[in-house]
Amino acid sequence: MTKKHPFPAIETKDLTIRFGGHVAVDHVNLRIDSFFLKSIIGPNGAGKTTLFNLITGQYQPSEGRILLKGKDITKLGVAARTRLGMGRSFQLTNIFPLLTVLENVRVAIQARKGLGLNFWRNYLHFSELEDEAYHILEQVLLEEQWAKAAINLTHGEQRKLEIAILLSLDPEILFLDEPTAGMSQEEVPAILEILQRIKDARDRTMLLVEHKMDLIMSLSDTIAVLQDGRLIADGEPEEIYKSEAVQAAYLGGGVKSE
Amino acid sequence: MAEATPVQIFHMEEKRRQYRSGGFFLKVGLLALFVLVPFLFPSFKTVDLAMQIIMFATLVASFDILLGYTGILSFGHGMFFGIGAYCVAFLVGKYGTPSYANLALGFVIAALVASVLAIVISFLSLRVKAIFFAMITLAIAELAIVLATKLSGFTGGEDGISLNMPGILAVSFSAGNFLGLEITGRILTYYFILLACLGLFLAMLRFTHSPLGRVLQAIRDNVERAEALGYKTFIFQAISITFGCVVAALVGGLYGMWVGYVNPESCLGVLSIMLAILLMCIIGGMGTLYGGIVGAAFFMITETFLPDLQHLAKDFFPSAVFLHNVLERWHLVLGVLFILVVIFFPKGIIGSVREFIDRRK
Ligand SMILES: Nc1ncnc2c1ncn2[C@@H]1O[C@H](COP(=O)(O)OP(=O)(O)O)[C@@H](O)[C@H]1O
Ligand SMILES: [Mg+2]
Repeated sequence: MTKKHPFPAIETKDLTIRFGGHVAVDHVNLRIDSFFLKSIIGPNGAGKTTLFNLITGQYQPSEGRILLKGKDITKLGVAARTRLGMGRSFQLTNIFPLLTVLENVRVAIQARKGLGLNFWRNYLHFSELEDEAYHILEQVLLEEQWAKAAINLTHGEQRKLEIAILLSLDPEILFLDEPTAGMSQEEVPAILEILQRIKDARDRTMLLVEHKMDLIMSLSDTIAVLQDGRLIADGEPEEIYKSEAVQAAYLGGGVKSE
Repeated sequence: MAEATPVQIFHMEEKRRQYRSGGFFLKVGLLALFVLVPFLFPSFKTVDLAMQIIMFATLVASFDILLGYTGILSFGHGMFFGIGAYCVAFLVGKYGTPSYANLALGFVIAALVASVLAIVISFLSLRVKAIFFAMITLAIAELAIVLATKLSGFTGGEDGISLNMPGILAVSFSAGNFLGLEITGRILTYYFILLACLGLFLAMLRFTHSPLGRVLQAIRDNVERAEALGYKTFIFQAISITFGCVVAALVGGLYGMWVGYVNPESCLGVLSIMLAILLMCIIGGMGTLYGGIVGAAFFMITETFLPDLQHLAKDFFPSAVFLHNVLERWHLVLGVLFILVVIFFPKGIIGSVREFIDRRK
């Protein structure tokens, strides 16, 4: 299954976090191969977002380690991990509400280009950042809203902005936590197309959490199944779809495939 | 080249309008007024008032870098101002003769001491929590007053230190008459300070409009997201705080030059200086820099003319008891005004005016 490529982008070793007595992520050993797209599925509350939070550094694990291309990053902070090439989009929209839509994206591009510490030039001097930001907004079909404060966008538009910010970082490894959740039917295809395109280029690694089963089945190279914080299956899409344990735990559990 | 994006078109429009906007004329007019004050109103009182407004506007703007742009409440800003005043006073008063080199060195030392102290305080407190910054700066500011008072051998204690200016800035200097005004060392000092404050103000404007200033804005809006973009938010906050504190120290040095005398109460007082800065910033409007000018002007003008107003009221309206009460309890009135502004105009005067203009467009 994961032997197609010998080079793991991310590995977790017995990754565990407890909130009080509750074990939200329980000794998870996950391997994400470079330049592949892995999806994580599992019922609500299974610990998918928490696993993301552990890997991208929002939470410190109670136990276990995280390796990025073989290097232990368990102790690194969020910013340091981002600068090592990990980018994240959040399930609960996490944008800059008072900044304009364009500035949300521009400030992310600025981060990637390492220009943030420049305090002696007018930021408009770097006009190529704004141009690039505008083109990213075009990709997610938000360009007409560029001058609005992000807080004034609709929920679906904010979700698209969330994706635009991730694209601006152009990370080596993309963590997408339910990217299309909360979008209207018309908004989803553009996002799907972007994901498909990144995947087809085969130069980025992706970890995706989604509930739309048809989307998962067509996009994923491999699928991992999480339940009650434990990894109960990990394999190719058909394998997972057929697996009895998964059927019982999740697929049969009333999750709609749209 | 590809077709211009709407963003580019917007900026081109903005550039075209730049030198025609009301705001631009207001700024130029204000600057012209400050330049002309010694000629138009040559009395000591008005020149001194203009100078105080200029210095405090710059000081409040530097405080705004912390409060409005970094979201950090500091009670140590008056202390940094005082440190600057003392550093210059040491060099051209207590420990050195008035020379240009000593004066310049005083400002360099002021900037160095302020930046080291600001960095240390940032490292001690920022990682913990923003509120901790307020507490630790308050404690250190109080400590600074005690030190300045008790280490009288070093600092001159309660008596303070007198400063003397070198060469053409000296009180005794005179370069003859120009347009009916005697160009004294005081007048030249006025223009020197005006120029210095203008430079500091422009530097702060550039700072807040730089890529780094933009990161500060993002951090203020959503720290976690800024961190997830790869910005080490702590470093940005520390840089911003240090910058604001260094500007405060430099303004303190200028203040020392102007008043010619520093002591713990007038330069370091938490109540006398710090509270005034905070009120000016909030009333003027934080997060705009220009709010400082409005806040400082409002405060300084009322403070300066308050005794006159009290006299006038007693002379002309001897029976208007309410008016006398209001004027006698002016600071109470200011306090009430402050509360009203915070409740009804949380963006301060500048912020509210801008909002009003935007809405009418
Ligand atoms: N910060 C936290 N404090 C306490 N419990 C948490 C915290 N974060 C997540 N949890 C718990 O961890 C479990 C997994 O949540 P989550 O990772 O959001 O699930 P999923 O993303 O799979 O729907 C839930 O029971 C949730 O309540
Ligand atoms: Mg989740």
